[in-house]
Amino acid sequence: MSEPKIPVDLIMKKLTEDSEEVLKTAQKASDVLLGPLDTAISTTPCDIVYEEDRIKVKHYKPKTGAKLKTPLLLVYALINRETMLDLQPGRSTIQNFLDEGVEVYMIDWGYPTRKDRYLTIDDHVNGYINNVVDFIRKRHSIPKINLMGICMGGTFSVMYTALHPEKIKNLITTVTPTNFDTDQGLLHIWMKTIDVDRMIDTLGNVPADMMNLGFLILNPARLMIDKYVGFLKNIGDKTFVENFIRMEKWIFDSPDVPGETFRQFINDLYKKNLLIQNKMELGGRRVDLKKITVPLLNFYGRYDHLVPPEACEHLTEAVGSRDTEDVCLDTGHIGIYVSSRVQKEFAPRIARWLKERDKPEKESPGRKKPVASRTAAKTKATISSPKKGKKKSST
Amino acid sequence: MSENQNEKLYPESLMSFWMKSATDFWKSTSRIWPDATEPFQSEGLKKQFQKLESAPKMWQSFISAFSAPESMNALFKGMDILPEVVLQTLQSGWGGYSDLQKKWLEKASRMGKQSEAYKFEDIDKDLFKAWAEVYEKEFSQFLNVPQIGLTRFYQERTGQTLDRLNLFEIALSEFVNLLYLPVEKSTKAMSEKLEEVTKKGELSENFEEYYREWIKILEGHYMVLFKSTEYIQVLNNVLDAGQNYFSARNHLIEDILQFFPVATNKDMDELYKEIYLLKKEVKKLSKKVAGLK
Repeated sequence: MSEPKIPVDLIMKKLTEDSEEVLKTAQKASDVLLGPLDTAISTTPCDIVYEEDRIKVKHYKPKTGAKLKTPLLLVYALINRETMLDLQPGRSTIQNFLDEGVEVYMIDWGYPTRKDRYLTIDDHVNGYINNVVDFIRKRHSIPKINLMGICMGGTFSVMYTALHPEKIKNLITTVTPTNFDTDQGLLHIWMKTIDVDRMIDTLGNVPADMMNLGFLILNPARLMIDKYVGFLKNIGDKTFVENFIRMEKWIFDSPDVPGETFRQFINDLYKKNLLIQNKMELGGRRVDLKKITVPLLNFYGRYDHLVPPEACEHLTEAVGSRDTEDVCLDTGHIGIYVSSRVQKEFAPRIARWLKERDKPEKESPGRKKPVASRTAAKTKATISSPKKGKKKSST
Repeated sequence: MSENQNEKLYPESLMSFWMKSATDFWKSTSRIWPDATEPFQSEGLKKQFQKLESAPKMWQSFISAFSAPESMNALFKGMDILPEVVLQTLQSGWGGYSDLQKKWLEKASRMGKQSEAYKFEDIDKDLFKAWAEVYEKEFSQFLNVPQIGLTRFYQERTGQTLDRLNLFEIALSEFVNLLYLPVEKSTKAMSEKLEEVTKKGELSENFEEYYREWIKILEGHYMVLFKSTEYIQVLNNVLDAGQNYFSARNHLIEDILQFFPVATNKDMDELYKEIYLLKKEVKKLSKKVAGLK
């Protein structure tokens, strides 16, 4: 067999022809990169209303006043940062919620240090999330709030709602893995075989750079080559460069992941798939998905390579709620929050869904009394009314 | 026969020559990944690569010192008085290295010829396996010789750290080599395609078209590779070897730190655990107290 030959002469000819174009682009690139660039992310004004250890809660108020009686708490993943939901004006899920009159609270998990290595999923779900939910309920004098989880934060939100159904009015899950018994995504294949115990015993927390490298390696052709070829091609376009840098800032702004939480997530979920089988235990309590009887709206991306549809779509069947809906969007893991096309539909759809289920709760949490027991009875009554049944839709 | 040619036949020259070429090989191999990804690295990642680079540098200094003519002469002179059994061990080690060199040369001569598109079952695993075997059988044992005396623990940990660093580097090289394979395969597939269209006179002037196609082929190759059991095995090997090395290195650093008035990770971890448990208890009690009010 003869050795294949690349037509170097033709390539050289083409390069010469293109050289003038290249010079022009280089000039433009220099103007753009050396000039002022607006690459700030997470610029929507907010107040920090709650702090505990490393975590903070951001509060966003609609300018025209809240149209919903119940505020929405967003729980992001421990991987990467919640700033993705407010990447830039015009591409901000937060801003879109505010435009729809939804009052938003969002947990900022901060940057775990070595002292956080012993924090478990229980500490995040029954500790931090529960404290934040109680804080918001008390602040608004309401027994229940709306909860929306993103990715791993969605998994935490599902666990939370199952363990504290009396405090949640509606649950929204987005790109949330709950079924880990799938070979659709590479993460699901790789995580089943890694020795996470040795990893955590050695490293303490999972270093951010290790996570970043792991995510890049999921698709090196696109994430390590093509993406930057695209950047070079558009380097003279100021708006493109600004958006690109914003995304780069977000992608590589990764906190370390608390070791014990990561260990449990891999062992109990990726390896044993306990959650969907109602066998997961947190703080000595079993997480029974049948106890989720609140309305559930479940979003996932058809082309999500991190949390594939197979990992998300079983949740609505597993919960006890009769008012559930699956929404499969034609996008990937991040596209749900940053794609201009999806943004037009995503937040308005959630706002509409919440408005339809925003009946006022009659009772508010008392300071002395077992709020839980009183509201629990009410939850059953509320749940039985919608009877909307399971829905599936895709856009 | 010239003097130079004569020198090449002496075992010390051969050994010295082999050590230099082996060092050069590993030095360049360890640079493949950082170099290829340099434009895309975050500061954090660069630091990690710098840390990784320091390992081959240490190895290089060790080998350079060892392979210097005077060291080699001293070593081989000293050998005259070594028991025969040690000589035999070294000879068998030399045999192993020759074998490895031979395999490297074979591999080099096959480059670009053995790759078959979208197939990773026939990866030349023997090359790295051979190197690992040779290292473990012939070299590793020297770093794991039982130590004696007052400083035995420190010496033992130093030896173990070096040993695990070497094993980590072998695993890392295999991993990096595996990650490079799709590039080799897709480039070959693309060059064949270009040759074909050139022959037909259908070569497009728009080279972006070919780039798009190459990226697509490359992506496809990576997807096939990443799902293969071979890749998962190598990935786990490199993680295991990395953890072994970091663990040994941490013990060594703790040994050093105990001579200074600073807390080690072990000290801090014990403290953090206590704080974690106390905080948890305090939060629980605070809630109980609040409920009583």
